[in-house]
Amino acid sequence: MTSLIIVSVLAVAVLYLGLFKYKTALLPVSVTGLLAAAAMAAMDWDLEKMYFSEMMLFDNYAVAFSILLILTTLLIFGLSRNYFEKISNNVAEYYALMLFALAGGVVMVSFHNLAMLFIGIEILSISLYVLAGIRRKDPASNEASLKYFLMGAFATGFLLFGTALIYGATGSFNLAAIASSGAFESALFRAGVLLMMVGLSFKVSVAPFHTWTPDVYEGSPGLIAMFMATVVKTAGFAAFLRLFLMAFAEASAFWAITVAILCILTLFAGNITAVFQDRFKRLLAWSSVSHAGYLLLAILAVGFSASSAVLVYTIAYSLASVAAFGIMILVSRARGNDHLDSFNGLARTNPFLAFTLTLAVCSLAGIPLTAGFFGKFYVFKVALAQGYTWLVVLAVINAMIGIYYYFKVIIAMYMKENANAVAIQLNPGFRLVLSIVVFLIFLFGIFPGLIANIL
Amino acid sequence: MTLWLIPALPYLGALILILAGSKLSKQMAGIIGCGSMGLSALWTGVTGIAFLSGGREPVRLQLWEWFDVAGWNPGVTLYFDSLSLVFTFVITFVGFLIHVYSTGYMARDEGFNRFFAYLNLFVGSMLMLVLADNLLLLYLGWEGVGLCSYLLIGFWYQDPANGAAARKAFIVTRIGDTAFAIGLFMLFQTLGTLNIGAILAEAGSALSGDGAASWPGGPAGATAIALLLVGGAVGKSAQIPLQTWLPDAMAGPTPVSALIHAATMVTAGVYLIARMHGIFELSPVSMQVVSLIGTITLLVAGCSALCQSDLKRVLAYSTISQIGYMFLALGLGAWSAAIFHFFTHAFFKALLFLGAGAIIESLHHEQNIFRMGGLRKELPVVFITFLIGSASLAALPLVTAGFFSKDQILWMAFAGEHGSLGLWIAASVGAFLTALYTFRMVFVTFWGETKTPVTHRPGKAMTIPLIILALFSLLAGFIEVPHNLGHITLFSSFLASVLPSPELITDSLLMEWMSQAAAALLTLGGIGLAYEYYVRNPQSLAGMKRNTGALQRFFHSGFGFDRLYDSLLIQPYTWLARVNRRDITDSLYTGLARFSIWLHRQSAQTQTGILRHYLLGAAIGALIILTISIFI
Amino acid sequence: MEDTLQTIQSIPLEHYIWFSTALFIVGVIGVLTRRNAIIILMSVELMLNAVNLLLAAFSVHHGDPSGQVFVFFIMAVAAAEVAVGLAIIVMIYRNTGSVDIDIMNKLKW
Repeated sequence: MTSLIIVSVLAVAVLYLGLFKYKTALLPVSVTGLLAAAAMAAMDWDLEKMYFSEMMLFDNYAVAFSILLILTTLLIFGLSRNYFEKISNNVAEYYALMLFALAGGVVMVSFHNLAMLFIGIEILSISLYVLAGIRRKDPASNEASLKYFLMGAFATGFLLFGTALIYGATGSFNLAAIASSGAFESALFRAGVLLMMVGLSFKVSVAPFHTWTPDVYEGSPGLIAMFMATVVKTAGFAAFLRLFLMAFAEASAFWAITVAILCILTLFAGNITAVFQDRFKRLLAWSSVSHAGYLLLAILAVGFSASSAVLVYTIAYSLASVAAFGIMILVSRARGNDHLDSFNGLARTNPFLAFTLTLAVCSLAGIPLTAGFFGKFYVFKVALAQGYTWLVVLAVINAMIGIYYYFKVIIAMYMKENANAVAIQLNPGFRLVLSIVVFLIFLFGIFPGLIANIL
Repeated sequence: MTLWLIPALPYLGALILILAGSKLSKQMAGIIGCGSMGLSALWTGVTGIAFLSGGREPVRLQLWEWFDVAGWNPGVTLYFDSLSLVFTFVITFVGFLIHVYSTGYMARDEGFNRFFAYLNLFVGSMLMLVLADNLLLLYLGWEGVGLCSYLLIGFWYQDPANGAAARKAFIVTRIGDTAFAIGLFMLFQTLGTLNIGAILAEAGSALSGDGAASWPGGPAGATAIALLLVGGAVGKSAQIPLQTWLPDAMAGPTPVSALIHAATMVTAGVYLIARMHGIFELSPVSMQVVSLIGTITLLVAGCSALCQSDLKRVLAYSTISQIGYMFLALGLGAWSAAIFHFFTHAFFKALLFLGAGAIIESLHHEQNIFRMGGLRKELPVVFITFLIGSASLAALPLVTAGFFSKDQILWMAFAGEHGSLGLWIAASVGAFLTALYTFRMVFVTFWGETKTPVTHRPGKAMTIPLIILALFSLLAGFIEVPHNLGHITLFSSFLASVLPSPELITDSLLMEWMSQAAAALLTLGGIGLAYEYYVRNPQSLAGMKRNTGALQRFFHSGFGFDRLYDSLLIQPYTWLARVNRRDITDSLYTGLARFSIWLHRQSAQTQTGILRHYLLGAAIGALIILTISIFI
Repeated sequence: MEDTLQTIQSIPLEHYIWFSTALFIVGVIGVLTRRNAIIILMSVELMLNAVNLLLAAFSVHHGDPSGQVFVFFIMAVAAAEVAVGLAIIVMIYRNTGSVDIDIMNKLKW
């Protein structure tokens, strides 16, 4: 809880810093505040505290995901030096909005009442509608913002209608009360669960509600797309799983088949459409859709191993995405666009970047000795334990399709030449963040036990 | 416990050399390469002394658990017992000497730093292999060794022939590796574990119960697993029918050959079988197969070595033949005899290869023994040490290490519970052949007149390892002496805690004397015959050569295995590839690719960019989801 | 006044559910069929108001005030959402001179 307060106060403080034009203080203050928030979250470990008459529950699940969200934001801030200055004069807005979104994310992973789920999602989403359109003169950014906003608002309608139906069936918004209400057979309850599933599927871009994802990622500034792909997706899935784990687990027999269908749809929609995509940012957007499919597999297997699997997967995915989006930003800034051809010859001009990106896409593809391998491994394992063998087979086929398009960028970097490519300059922030990411991807790929057994 | 330092040091050296290799001077690279190996050898010594002076209790060191899934938790766990100690000692010690030698041998090579990086990685992987507590980790080391052998055999990759040799080594051993992997799968399916200790305990309890019948997989399962493991061992250890890669592997730099033949790689198969002895004891058939493979290999390779003209190829065939002896011993259940032969063989074979390297280097990369000659006076140190190595290889009675280890195998072939007269005769003929081809090589190389001038002489970095190895080739045998000659059993009693000792059908002292005398006579006879033909009376040889040309060519080609495989496998395969130029199977994949392109177009069509289409899609999706739920 | 309240309470819960669902579907159809961004926004509001009505009805039915509190949450958040949404629409209007969502189709495939 302290960490949530710190993040919220930090966001307001950053706004004030912007008001008084302390631009140089923005980043240090944000970073210090986030470190303090992460530390405070860690102090809540094993305490299982309830807040505001059971509106929020800071159990280990909430703490682990809060820390993940905060640290991912920290990594993104590490890349943000000189980034926002290039596109806007009001830099403080970015930091403040991202911190507000982060606060929403923390609420989403620690809710114990459907009201808090709704509030968390809206805090996160409204900040992001603004962030997506923050390049006011850029038509692409405008379009991304409008699409994201209208789709998001539409989805909120479904989410709320579902919430209302569940309230009607059970008489409560409290997760524990819903779980013990025993109203699982009623049509109201079932319709409510499915409508909430639809609403949440929008937020985490599960097919067929994913269509906004590539357009919004493409139109938004690179760093904001990175934030959407990592923090927002992690928070969304953590909330999705938390809701279904704590409130609807008993009724899993009837919603599981729907999740399985969504899972297949998402996997194929994401991977097949990514296959011939030649703009890297859109490719990453489609890959983010496909990763939502793998994560749905874990939701099928409700139980505490599912939380571990989702945690490992989101950690691996966030790390790899930070690296991939970060290098995409550098390359598209230096070469003018994010077309795959722009990556030609990167191995010669910037071996470190090429290596990092290779590692990142290997992790996204799930190659062993990277963190991503264990993400997929654990997700498949929990799905197999529940008897979804056919689903895992389809997922593995999709993982193979994934290797095809992920490796296109490796081929571009290492096997294609670009005669007039010049080395890209890295600022220390990028160097530091990318080094940390490389280290962690290897670390969790070799010692997955460090993160696999904490929940 | 600091056991992990032993494999970690070479790995660390390799890592530094790989990451910073281009920035380091040759001197620095040499120091890092040799230093890490030296420290590793030193640490093996320290650990070994602690082990010996302690209770000789096996040490298990869990470094970390890789992952834990459904009761299967492959740990990165090291296991150290007397068998591991023997292998670790040989690998680090001989490996260190080869490293030192390489600083001299490779001094003028451009890829010096790369060479040491590979060398360290090679040794590190081999150490991982012999120290692994479970077969998965062992397999990791096994594959690491395979990879490094590929890199090192093709080290001078500018010459396509070297690349071909490297590929051949990799592909041929791969066949064995596949068998090994299937064996591992079967083991895991049978027992649910790959932990060596657990497997051996299971096998031991089956053996003390009612034999293979009480093994979870039944007798057939045990035999299948054992034979698949043999398949892996045969590939790595270059035994028939997968021996063809080893002679070609001579394409690599000579220190690599020394490393492959003496300390690493080819002995991995011997280690595997010795380590998994419990499973083999359950399956008498597989034991017979192993001894048969060993016997045939030692004879075939011995004959082939007789007709080679390339110095390194003679040594390569001699290795195949000596490993054949080890396999024979393993098949006889004479586990410690096999390991003892490995132990002595490592010293004299490393010595011979390093000596051969010194000769080749002094003669400006001349490898044909018939263009050498008269080197006795030109390269005295090399001559003496090479002579000692050859004597040990030929098992010159009483004074060389090779005699004691080979004698033990011969005696087991005769008197062991699985032995037979046939095996003894074959092994004795092999001993005769060994003496003959070894001294043919020595006499042709060092006697006679000088045919190629010596351009430069080996430096200290090369001669000192030779001298040390020569000392070991003489003395290493005295730790295990047959009981009619003094009865020292330091080595076998040291291994007794790990490897059971076989029962003897006969322990008649007279028979043992007879066997030894016969072996000694055969060895001396082989040397004498070589002297007669190659020094005293070369004309008679020329006459014989004319009469037996076809046989010689047959022997020279290694019994035509290459041609056999070429016509049996490669030709049909290339024929198929030619016929199938349009590639019928591939059309399946192109079809799949076309299909996914089509699918991609369809799915991309849905991404129209028009918001109302997205909203409509989502609404229809929601509708469908709600409708589905009505039907369940 | 008393009469009106009694009349309202005598309406069965099912009628509220069906009415709210109808209102919600009207909102959805509005979102799907209209091209003017502002009208789409209004349709979304209609969807949310359907939810509010439903929540209020359930709240009375269960005799539990938390449903009505939730309605206030929705109103507050919807206000914030509309503020941001209108800002986005104004921004787009300034750049393109139109609030037709069909011209926003540069990002695709």
